Formats: sequence, structure tokens, C-alpha cells
Amino acid sequence: MGLYRIDLHNHSSLSPCAEDDFSPFLLAIEAKEKGIDILGLSDHNSTDNLKAFAEACKIVDLIPFFGIEVTTIEEVHVLVSFQHIAPALAFGSWVNDHLPYYPNNEKLFGRQLIYDEEGNQTAEVERMLATATTLGFEEVIDKALREGALAIPAHIDRGSNSVLSNLGFLPELPYSAIEVVTPRSEFEELGYPVLTGSDAHRFEEVGIRSCVIELSDRSAKALIAALNGRRCGE
Amino acid sequence: MTVKDLSQVEGLKAHHVAEGDQAVKDIYCGDLLSDVMANAQEDSALLTIQAHKNTVAVASLLGLGVIVLCNGRTPPSDMIEAAKSEDISIFSSSANHYKTALAITPFL
Repeated sequence: MGLYRIDLHNHSSLSPCAEDDFSPFLLAIEAKEKGIDILGLSDHNSTDNLKAFAEACKIVDLIPFFGIEVTTIEEVHVLVSFQHIAPALAFGSWVNDHLPYYPNNEKLFGRQLIYDEEGNQTAEVERMLATATTLGFEEVIDKALREGALAIPAHIDRGSNSVLSNLGFLPELPYSAIEVVTPRSEFEELGYPVLTGSDAHRFEEVGIRSCVIELSDRSAKALIAALNGRRCGE
Repeated sequence: MTVKDLSQVEGLKAHHVAEGDQAVKDIYCGDLLSDVMANAQEDSALLTIQAHKNTVAVASLLGLGVIVLCNGRTPPSDMIEAAKSEDISIFSSSANHYKTALAITPFL
């Protein structure tokens, strides 16, 4: 067993609210500098930057988690994060199929930029990613867990777009973990592993809320086992 | 009525009143911004508890000239700054959506 630094919740230039030059490469390089072992990318309702992220993590030798931050129909943010890229892209496609179409307004929400595996900005998503899908909170959690992903209600202690602010309570579901902004003892008592995530939208925010977890080794499999395996493993 | 007339409504506190005479022809109450996006009509006053700058973006997109924050919520400074740049007015009320709408309705 050993202690490893993880940070599953980060955005890139694809998220409308993130800075345009915040590529998956910049995220990975800075995360490596900050001593992170396992890094997740989770853009809003899209997985279009995950291929670049995979390459970036390979170059800097980080363990990648391929994620997406889904906005449910209740406007609750849920992190879904996979060990492998293919099921993550398939999940992203499912989310995309359930996202109502509005054209993005760059002036109000910002640009949504895709980078390729060589680090070039190659495309821009025209549809608005910063809106709610038609997927229910429980539906997203259930599908993510069935597909072997981590399913984590995001920043549950935040005043907007969180399960506590929007539903008023935490439904009893087999979450992999819960993510908080500020750890407090009352969250530990909820019965789930409590993680923090940087939710970085720009270079300066990389690693600001990473957390340390005990794992059998420095691997994605070990993190999945520690979070999803604890119900039968303990 | 126009946005400026809202200053006469009892119980409403002005946080930013935009220049110009933006019309207020209807009221839309909603806290899910995706629902507001789908259903609010142009020139409505948006009554909501969503006190953050994304609400300003949605209002701007739909042509809603005024946001009234209900249940005693107050706008953070970045929300007021966004409202200034988008020419959207912000008021607040200690009452809930229903009672706030009732107070505004006679002025429509």
C-alpha cells in the first residue's frame, strides 16, 4: 500500500467557462509539476478532448482517468470517470445524444476548443455545452457504475449545481465517492469516501484541491478497486 | 411597464438598474436555468433564486431585461458586474417567487 495524489476533476479549453489556451497538455504538464499521480479530465457534457488528454498523460507519465462532468436534468453536476478511453468516449456520445441543442454564444459562455493529439487546436464545438442534459441523476449514476466507471456527485457542498443544493438531500446510491470543496466531518459521516478535486478551469488552478488516497499501487485499477470495490471488498 | 417601474414595487431592492427603458411584459418564475432557457418569453422579468452570473448569461440570451432574486438571496459582485456589461437589471426580494410575482403583477 502507498499514498498517492489524485485529482479527478479538471476542465480544459473545451469547457466554455475554461480559458481558451488551457489545453489537455497544459493541464497534464502542470499536474505533473504539482506531484499528482492520477489525473482526470472532466469537461462539461463532452469527451472531445480526451484523446489529446490520453497523449498528454502518456508524455508526462501520469495515470489518466477519462471523465466527463455531466449536468443532469436536475442541473446537478456528476463526475463520471473511466480507466479506459473507449468506454469514456461511448459514454460521452450517450450524454451528447441527451443534450438539447442550442448554439453556443461565445460572448456569454466562452469558446469550446478541441485539441488534437499533437497539441494543435483543431476544432470548436458549436453547440452549447453549458446546459442540462435530459438525463436523471440516478440514471447517470446507475449507467456509470454498470459500465465500471467511477460515479461521483461533484462539489456537493457548493451552493449551485450540486446534489445538496438542487435536490436538498443526498439520495442513497452506491456512489464511488463524493466530492466536496471543503472537507468537514459531517461529510465523512455520509458513508462514502470523500474526495476533493481542483475543478481547474485555468492553469493557475491545477492541483489546488488535489487529495491523497491510500492505494495498493500507482495504477488506475487500484483506484477503481479502492473506490468501487470497497462494498464487497471490506 | 419598464424595468425602471420596478423600483416602485414594494419589497423590491434595486442592485443594478440598467440604462434605457427595457419593457417588462410578463413574469417567469424558475430555478432550473435549462427550463428558463426552454420556456421564458422575451421581455419577461425572471424571478429566481439562482444568484450567480450564469443567470445573467441566460437572461441576456433570451432578452429578459430584469432578474429578481427571491427568498432573500443577494447577487454576488461578479453577477452585478456581468449584469452591468449586459444591460440587465437586478433586484432582490425577501419574499418567495409567488408573493414577489403578486407584488409586481399590478404594475404590468
